[in-house]
Order: sequence, then C-alpha cells, then structure tokens
Amino acid sequence: MKYTTFNQNSINTLAEPMFFGNPVNVARYDQQKHPIFEKLIEKQISFFWRPEEVDVSRDRVDFQKLTAPEKHIFISNLKYQTLLDSIQGRSPNIAMLPIVSLPELETWIETWSFYETIHSRSYTHILRNLFSDPSEIFEDIVVNEEIKRRATDISRYYDDLIFATQLWQTQGVGTHTVNGEVHVISLRELKKKLYLCMNSVNALEAIRFYVSFACTFAFAERKLMEGNSKIIRLIARDENLHLSSTQHILNLWAKGKDDPEMAEIAEECHEEAKAIFLKAVEQEKEWAEYLFASGSMIGLNKDILCQYVEYIANQRMSAIGMGKPFDISSNPLPWMNNHLNSDNVQVAPQESEISSYLVGQIDSAVGEDDFEDFEL
Amino acid sequence: MSNTEKGIQITLIDTDTLPSLPNKTLLESIEAKNIEVPYHCRDGFCGACRCKLIKGDVDYTIDPLAFIDDDEVLLCCSVPLTDVTLKLE
Repeated sequence: MKYTTFNQNSINTLAEPMFFGNPVNVARYDQQKHPIFEKLIEKQISFFWRPEEVDVSRDRVDFQKLTAPEKHIFISNLKYQTLLDSIQGRSPNIAMLPIVSLPELETWIETWSFYETIHSRSYTHILRNLFSDPSEIFEDIVVNEEIKRRATDISRYYDDLIFATQLWQTQGVGTHTVNGEVHVISLRELKKKLYLCMNSVNALEAIRFYVSFACTFAFAERKLMEGNSKIIRLIARDENLHLSSTQHILNLWAKGKDDPEMAEIAEECHEEAKAIFLKAVEQEKEWAEYLFASGSMIGLNKDILCQYVEYIANQRMSAIGMGKPFDISSNPLPWMNNHLNSDNVQVAPQESEISSYLVGQIDSAVGEDDFEDFEL
Repeated sequence: MSNTEKGIQITLIDTDTLPSLPNKTLLESIEAKNIEVPYHCRDGFCGACRCKLIKGDVDYTIDPLAFIDDDEVLLCCSVPLTDVTLKLE
C-alpha cells in the first residue's frame, strides 16, 4: 500500500489496528483507540528538560581525578549511550511512522524519538565540558569493535523492517528482486518483522542502558561527576517511560486487544522474541566485562553488574510474559533505586542546577577561605 | 467489622501481614516494615513495583501509566480499599 501523508478517505481510527491499517490522516486526540499513548505523550511532555539546564562544569575537575580505568569506564559508557540514542533518535520515526495507523500512537512515536534526540544533545553537552575537542570520542563510536557489534544487533531489526516496508509501499505484495536478491513481501511477513523489531527495541529500552546507568550512579554515590549523573537521571526517567510504551504495544498484541493477526504472530514468534531479549542480556554482560577489563572502580565490579543486569532482566521479561529466567530475586545494587526515583529528578527553576535561570547569580565554586570571616 | 478495629491489613504471601498506614501507598506501608520491594519511579510509569493482587480492592492515587495485567497492581501509587492479599513479584 502506497504511503500518503494525508489519507483523504474517511477512516474510523477507533476501528484501526496500531500498525498496518490505513495511514493516519487527521491528527486528532479527542478520541483514542488506545488512550494509554495519549497519556504517555502528556507525561513525556511534562518531563521536558534541556541539557544546558544542568551545570556540568564541576565534572571537569572530577574527571581529572579519576584513575585511567575509571576514565575508560566513564567515556566508554558515554560512547555506548551515544550510539543507542543516535539509533533511537531516528529509527522509531523511520521504521514505524510509515506503517502506524492511530493518531495517538503516531504522535507518541514522534514524541518518544524527539526525547532521544535531547539525550543525544546532552552527550555533546557533557563531552564538550570534559574535552576541548570531543571529536575523537565521537569518531571512535563507528570504529570501536565492542560498540559496533552492539550497533549491528540493534539496527538490524529496524533495517529489516524499513527495507521490507519500502518494498511493500512501492512494489506491493509479491516477490521482488533487488540487486540480485529475492525478497518475498507479504503482510504477514511484514508484521513478523515489526513484531521482532518491537521486541528488539523493548529489550534496548529495558536493559541496554542499565550497565551504563549503574556506573554513572556509582560515581555519583562517591560524589563524583554529579552533573553528568543529574543528566543521566533525567535520561533514565525518560527511558523508563519509553519502555512502558513498548511493553504496552507488545502486551496489546499478545492479549489480542489490537490486531488479531499480531496475537498469532506473538505466539508463533515467542521463542524468537525471547532469544532477542536474552541476547541483549548477554551483550550487556559482555559490555560490563569490557568496561572492567583494564581495572575496576570503587563500589562496582563486573560480577555485581552482571547480577544487576539479570535482576532487571527478570523484572522486564516478566512484564511481557517471558517469565523470569534468572535465579536472582534480590536487588544487588539497592542504591540504584534512589537515582531512578522520579521524585529525585524533578527540576524546579529555582534549583541552582538550572544555569539559565541563575546566570551570573551563583558562584558554584566554594573555596576553603570563603567562610573565614563567618561567625555564629 | 475487623477493618474498623484493626485497620486495613496487607497480607504478603510467603512474607508477612502488616497494617496499611493512613494516607500511605501500599509501597510505603510495606517499606515501613523494612521489606524489600522493587521500585524505580514511584510515580506509576515504570512498572518496577508491579505485583499480583490475589484478593481485595485498591484505588489509585494517580493514573498508572505502566503496563499492569488485570490481576496486578502498582504498589507505588495505590492504596488499599479493603484488606488485600498480594504476591510480590
């Protein structure tokens, strides 16, 4: 079916499936097939933040004090997160907007992806503060083998879906040969690709950030790199919301509350979807190993990080009917919860972190002699 | 009748029975007894505190955005209306 940016046929979106129905025409939110996406949009917009609001200038001093292995951990995690948000800042739009059929879901996808671009901007903000020229860091992302391996696995499900959708929308259902390769395009196959892609994205939002988050918050527990940690807390809050949306999509399908064919596919591809999640878990554990290969950091080691990945994977897999495959029930990093608590990330304009509000009014550097003439 | 005498009771399967504290969410009442419960956002959108509601009724203090199944509740943003029996995830 050819894509159109404004479908001029009258459609009742309340009777449309989430994906692969009619293209959306009127962006209206007065009635919703799945009201959850409208609620997620409102919540996400209420979370709006700008990286520049967070003062990261003190981090530069802290960074100089880190050991070489700690610097490796810190920078590698930023590289990995930059990769993840580079992909997420564009891919939900490119892969899902051409096939979405509900206005509230269409806008959720756009809102979701837009926030990922804020995350990307915040990595530049952080790195610019640490290095006079951060080019070397960004350039390594497409060269570093550890990061590339993850990039391949994350982008392949998106790329598959995007390519098949393009063929379907230009050539229609059938067998097509492109550059000597034969592609069989059917709606069922497209839906399968979408299902696997959604599972891959869900695994990304569910666990791929958490090794990095844990390291960042471990630094913050030692009062190091706190500006960075403040930004990562904001990112973690957004990612939890994004995860909620992919869990809703997967469960709406699996429980037969949307497209009945997607319910069949969810059953048929259950094991394949589970394998995608488990592979992401393995890759995160390997990432922890890579981070700690040249030395550790106080408060964290590879083993405890791997346990945390399993702990969080149990929670997130059970939320989408995949059970709890790992034998761990107690949180190995209980202090993580303090940083993931939404109450601890609220930013009010009067808070000193918002530099735009207090420009020139606060001198955040406090020296030993500043209290010299202070008497009680 | 027992509710007015003892207050609302929260029973956690395989763990403990404890009182629901006034104006506190299920999560806060359980934490007051030093029982470890998974949580992240404490704002109803992440789903970390999702658990099975075996018996009883709850009311939500905010609209929960995280996915919860028909037989599940989010502890961080719900208060018990009756005695409740929960199975922690």
